[in-house]
Amino acid sequence: MKIVASFSRLKEIKPLAAAGADELYCSVDPLFSFGDPVGLPGFRELGRAADAAHALGLKLSLAVNHVNPVFKLSEEAGLVRKFSAARAAGVDAFIFANPGVLTLLKRAELRGAQLHLSSVQPCFNSLTAGLFIGLGVSRVILPNQLAPREAAALLKLCAARGVDTELFDYRFFGCAYVNGRCGLHRPDNYTLKVRVPPGSMCRPEMGGAALPRAVNLRPAWQDRLPGLSARLAARFGCGGGPRLANAASFFDYFASGVQYLKYGTRPDRAAVKARKVAELRSMLDLASELAAALPRAEARERFILKMEKWDGGKVRHAS
Amino acid sequence: MRLEQGVKLISRPGAPGADVAAAKKLLPHLDWIYLGAEFCENLLEDGFCGEAERWQAEGKKVCLLTPLLTERGVKALGSLGRRLMAACSAGRLDPARLELTVNDLGAAALAARERWPFKLAAGRQISHNFLQLEKKHLKAVNRPTLAFFADLGIERFELSPAGRLPPANFHSRAFGLGREAFKVTLHYPYLDLTTTRTCLVGMPYVAPKDSVSGINCLRECEACSFEVDHPWIKEKLQIRGNTVFAAFPKKVQYAPAEAGRLNADRLVYSPLV
Repeated sequence: MKIVASFSRLKEIKPLAAAGADELYCSVDPLFSFGDPVGLPGFRELGRAADAAHALGLKLSLAVNHVNPVFKLSEEAGLVRKFSAARAAGVDAFIFANPGVLTLLKRAELRGAQLHLSSVQPCFNSLTAGLFIGLGVSRVILPNQLAPREAAALLKLCAARGVDTELFDYRFFGCAYVNGRCGLHRPDNYTLKVRVPPGSMCRPEMGGAALPRAVNLRPAWQDRLPGLSARLAARFGCGGGPRLANAASFFDYFASGVQYLKYGTRPDRAAVKARKVAELRSMLDLASELAAALPRAEARERFILKMEKWDGGKVRHAS
Repeated sequence: MRLEQGVKLISRPGAPGADVAAAKKLLPHLDWIYLGAEFCENLLEDGFCGEAERWQAEGKKVCLLTPLLTERGVKALGSLGRRLMAACSAGRLDPARLELTVNDLGAAALAARERWPFKLAAGRQISHNFLQLEKKHLKAVNRPTLAFFADLGIERFELSPAGRLPPANFHSRAFGLGREAFKVTLHYPYLDLTTTRTCLVGMPYVAPKDSVSGINCLRECEACSFEVDHPWIKEKLQIRGNTVFAAFPKKVQYAPAEAGRLNADRLVYSPLV
């Protein structure tokens, strides 16, 4: 399994490589991408990034994964030219989400560049994967709300068709809501009473203070209502439901042959990015060592025990 | 353009609740009955075939809502699809009066693979790929995305406009969409804000040693919906199962001409209780 790391400034490339990144990805401001606008300022900078990455033996992907970019007919040709320019600048792969962007990418002069399906166009089954593989996708980035056993058929299909798969590190990424389909962070959908930090609407930290009110409760559920209310208050008020992505799911994906592990928080500071990539590397090394030395079940158990004690990297990085 | 009227039922097949009783009273005014599972594959059942047959026998057109799908949901939808096809072959269902709403592109792929003859619509959870709704505008984002959906047999998009019908770019030559290129179905009175797979009321805790095989629940979503005060926003939120909704700020009364401006020819009342 290889590590894919995000970056937003040229100076981050070397430290990320030193920390253990095998591939890099970024966005560029003249093109649209999902999330915070932290792209490189232009194609010249993108070319420099590609040169720097290639000099270190790393591939570079470009995120153009806006879910619903608005463009007119008259702008299509310009976008195709920009995709071609990005490829000419050295981009090895494009990460897309919107089907219209895929269409334009296929019109561009990509000269062998790969197409990766972003997790914000979430692919939860082998039929969706098959649809996009048929359209030229060579890597599927898995949504964090898909468990490895649920993904078995998808992974099998990808393996049979020579398509890579990629997952996010469960420790550093993963909202409880379906990524790419969430409208909680769009202020157009409600009226804010206070200013809130971007991206925090799904974690209001309400605690158990504001219990939800049941509406039209079915009598048969009366006895279980307190439990349901408490569960809902905890999950909605404190950041969502249970996480499917955890130490066990990581090991199972690792053992299933998923090829790439992603760290993808582009707005993080440079030092934080390098530290987190080092954490990815440590976790991968641990999984590899245990898998090589022990039967699978035992390796899995030992891996989970070790990762349960993970302290966020505080001890090692403090020393 | 005539504005067809529909109602979404949330009762489980074979267990009619108050929503079904209300729909029966309103029957003369309804063109469409919406059935199925819009947000959770655990609620996708073969029994919806029989419900579709019953409502068609009442003279109504039926739309079957389908959710985001894992392989478990693909299997459930495949099974339901076989029943629907058998009912069509036996003359109990008219495929021309049955529509399938997909909230997963895999469902559209399944429909194509199985050659289902039903019309397809993009549901509220995937129509954002093509329709971008903001306070001051509704934009069809680009023509290639419309072409992608058309290739999948999808020329209808479902949307919750949150009580407002803002100006749209649908008829702008700059986007090259064309007046008849697609239709819109409006759902009211709730806007689906977000959905999780790991249900807000119905899924047990997952420990670090657990790698689950699916979302298992006791159908806690059937107990009720919940009203929640979010500390930072004015509107009250409604939660049903795995989905968070915002109620529209005012009563919805769309004039057909106003809806027609958005290519909307169908209005569906989609309650939570």
